[in-house]
Amino acid sequence: MLMRFLITRVLTTIALVWLAASSMLLLARLGPSLELAERWMGGASPEAIKQERVRLGLDRPWWDQYGEWLGHAVRLDFGMSTRYQRPVPQLVAERAGNTAILTFAALFVATVVGLPLGVIAGSGRPRVVAVSVRAASLVALSLPPLLTSLLLAWFAASTGWFPIGGVSVIGAERLAVVDRLRDALWHLVLPVVALSLPLAASFERLQADAIAETRAEPFILGALARGLSQERVLWRDLWRPALGPVLALYGLAAGHLLSGSLAVELVTSWPGLGRLMFDALGARDLPLAAGCAAAAALFLGVWTTISDLALRVVDPRLREAAPASAPQRAELNA
Amino acid sequence: MSPSRRRTLLLRLAAAVVIVAALAVVLRPRGPKPDRATTATPVSEQPHAGGLLVATVRAEPRSFNRLVTSDLTSLTLSALMHARLVRVNQLTQQLEPWLAERWDTADNLHFVLHLHPDITFSDGTPFTAADVVFTFAALYDPRSNSPLTDAFKIDGKPIEVQAQDDHTVALTFPAPYGPGLRLLDNLPILPRHRLEAALTAGTFHDAWSTTTPPSDITGLGPFMLHAYHPGERVELERNPHYWRIDPHGTRLPYLDRVALEIVPNQSSEIFRLESGQADLVSSELRPDDVPAFRKMAEQGRTKVFDVGTGLDPDFLWFNLRPDGPASGGAGAAEHTDGHTPARPWLARRELRQAVSYAIDRDEFVNTVFLGAGTPIYGPVTQANKEWYANDLPTYPHDVEKARALLATIGLRDSNSDGMLENPDGTPARFTLFTQKGRPLRERAVAFIKEDLRKIGLDVEVSTLEFPALIDRITRGTYDAVYFGAAASDTDPSVNLDFWLSSGAFHVWNPGQPKPATPWEAQIDQLMHQQMQTPDQAERKRLFHDVQRIFATEIPVLYFAAPKVIVATSSRVMNAHPVLLQPEVLWSAETLGIRELAQ
Repeated sequence: MLMRFLITRVLTTIALVWLAASSMLLLARLGPSLELAERWMGGASPEAIKQERVRLGLDRPWWDQYGEWLGHAVRLDFGMSTRYQRPVPQLVAERAGNTAILTFAALFVATVVGLPLGVIAGSGRPRVVAVSVRAASLVALSLPPLLTSLLLAWFAASTGWFPIGGVSVIGAERLAVVDRLRDALWHLVLPVVALSLPLAASFERLQADAIAETRAEPFILGALARGLSQERVLWRDLWRPALGPVLALYGLAAGHLLSGSLAVELVTSWPGLGRLMFDALGARDLPLAAGCAAAAALFLGVWTTISDLALRVVDPRLREAAPASAPQRAELNA
Repeated sequence: MSPSRRRTLLLRLAAAVVIVAALAVVLRPRGPKPDRATTATPVSEQPHAGGLLVATVRAEPRSFNRLVTSDLTSLTLSALMHARLVRVNQLTQQLEPWLAERWDTADNLHFVLHLHPDITFSDGTPFTAADVVFTFAALYDPRSNSPLTDAFKIDGKPIEVQAQDDHTVALTFPAPYGPGLRLLDNLPILPRHRLEAALTAGTFHDAWSTTTPPSDITGLGPFMLHAYHPGERVELERNPHYWRIDPHGTRLPYLDRVALEIVPNQSSEIFRLESGQADLVSSELRPDDVPAFRKMAEQGRTKVFDVGTGLDPDFLWFNLRPDGPASGGAGAAEHTDGHTPARPWLARRELRQAVSYAIDRDEFVNTVFLGAGTPIYGPVTQANKEWYANDLPTYPHDVEKARALLATIGLRDSNSDGMLENPDGTPARFTLFTQKGRPLRERAVAFIKEDLRKIGLDVEVSTLEFPALIDRITRGTYDAVYFGAAASDTDPSVNLDFWLSSGAFHVWNPGQPKPATPWEAQIDQLMHQQMQTPDQAERKRLFHDVQRIFATEIPVLYFAAPKVIVATSSRVMNAHPVLLQPEVLWSAETLGIRELAQ
């Protein structure tokens, strides 16, 4: 059963990677070239522009160019970036690590902040805190990461408490290991807060609703009737059964984090995959745009597979059932 | 909940807040911090050796080979890492000796350049005439695919370069060229000993990519590459072999290090400058940011420089191509209602004059540049002291005159709705394109639309991404465009592509096999004449005539030039910002950093 599940997921991920990369390549191919525009602005002669068009492969029909790219891609050759004159995998690898750090850190923060607050809000006690948490999460949910990033950048500029962007201080390579780590964490604060806020709010809302629903379950009412304290029931008996819907959301969080990281990376100058993809798309760097999309799709596929595996571990019912979509699973768990 | 439990919970929450606030303090690195402080007082006014200057750039370098890239980051890096044979002093706009200490010419066609004898590259290798010959060979080699090649051709032909001895180079121009050696200001001299193998192998275009070890990249500029952190920053350090010395005998540059932080977002750049996390940003201040920076300058937190009226104002032009909207040909922009009839009036001089009269330039300055601008009527602004003419025809704001001119080309308000119609009764309408994401341009077209509505013209505004806009311009599928281009020099001969009817940047009707109008033929002839004479006074007289014709025909309309206002941190010393980019780093060798007391 598990093997079948894994094979299905591997095939789905391959299809997702192909679809994402192909769509990106073709979409980027449809738009006019930035390289040619810059050449024209730089005073290049029509002959020089024609030569550049040939170099970029824009003199050929799109299907011809796509076919050539696909032929190489199946051999795991993703080509050279036309903008940076470097192999695409090299460029993508350079940035994917930074995006992974940012997204995992944001997921961690969203979890440790969102879940406990959800328990408090769902239990409704103390009332003032529960109402405040609900109000705060509503605000956080409505804040797009771009706006949050700008607000936090303004905050950092005004207070000087945090760096406005980047991943390290100038000369970080000369720091001791502990200081480098501290420096990296210091630079992480702003982008991670910007990226994790809406996700933490989602976790809080989902957890609060699940807690509220589970409170009415007979085993909870029984525990309370036996005279166990509200605190003990809340944190020991109620919280764990109410975790299911939140765990299902983890699989979907990858998409949110990847899309949010684009805005955050731009504002906070975080050298990640989102920024690279933005540059590649702006420059109509076809191989690089396709490579970035493939990497993002791969990330998404692996993330959701691991998330679903985790769900199967914690919920025995899923081991017996056929693989289900995330919302179905959320419903099942709730 | 019992009071004690509530108290405990509140205490826990308070503790959490304290922990988060303490994060900032705890996580701050304690190692070698950058040499900066945001709230401090200066202790020294004199530039001294040492220090780190942090500047921002908007995009990453695509290559460290200046000959194969032409973006602003490459230009900035080139100013820091390389040197050229002669330099145009951007403060005086005059030509100065640089790697060449002097030169001779008898006919303005043949030049003999005498190179400084004691210059070495940053790796210690002596600089010789062979490096100059090599640089030109790399520039003209078709396999280099250099975006600079065409700019270094005269009448489509390359300059001939010969080494007469180790320190003497002979240049032969293929045709007379008025600006003479000014052209060489944009050509960095590269080391033959490092790049010759790549040129021979045909891989010069890929040489010095961003993965090349910094120690392999050498130059003749004041700084050399120390490290490149992809997506984050480029670090440069002082070139110990740099040959220039200040009047007090101190070897330049003053700075030890320069870091170019890659900050793609303009607001983030400004935040960094405000907070002291950067000393310079990549371009001049946006009008909206100026008041805040002036206030900070009063508090001693920044320095603000009023550099002057810009050299390269944005402009509006109508599509005058033979197959353009005037003829209803393929070049007409499609309107939202799908109505694209022939509109001969779009090609009429009276329309352009009417538009010029219709725009209230003073109000344009107030609305678009928030007062930080100057009304103008032509491409050469007051900032271009050498070539500006103040006695050309102007078109002061006059709505009635504008309406009268439109009536002469058949546009009348036939249905009394306040808007003009074509002779066939359809609305007199055109589409105006501009660049998306450039607030000043977007603001300008909104203003133009409103002012033209007052004379009865209906303007549809459309904003496009940069490549899409250029695609439209080059294919000629538009009615009118509001756009601009960065100037590279003040000499008009450097922009021949704009002035000559055969030029690719003769935007209103480019690449003409022969001049389409008598006045364009006249401009062609005058520009060729002024380019061929070495007599500067005669050149100025001829170009004055060009400007007069241009101001009468106004194929391109100019409304206002922004004032260029540049800000630096208060630590930066000896900054002499100029109008051309890179505004401050053009003279990086003499910049200093002031030590600040904590």
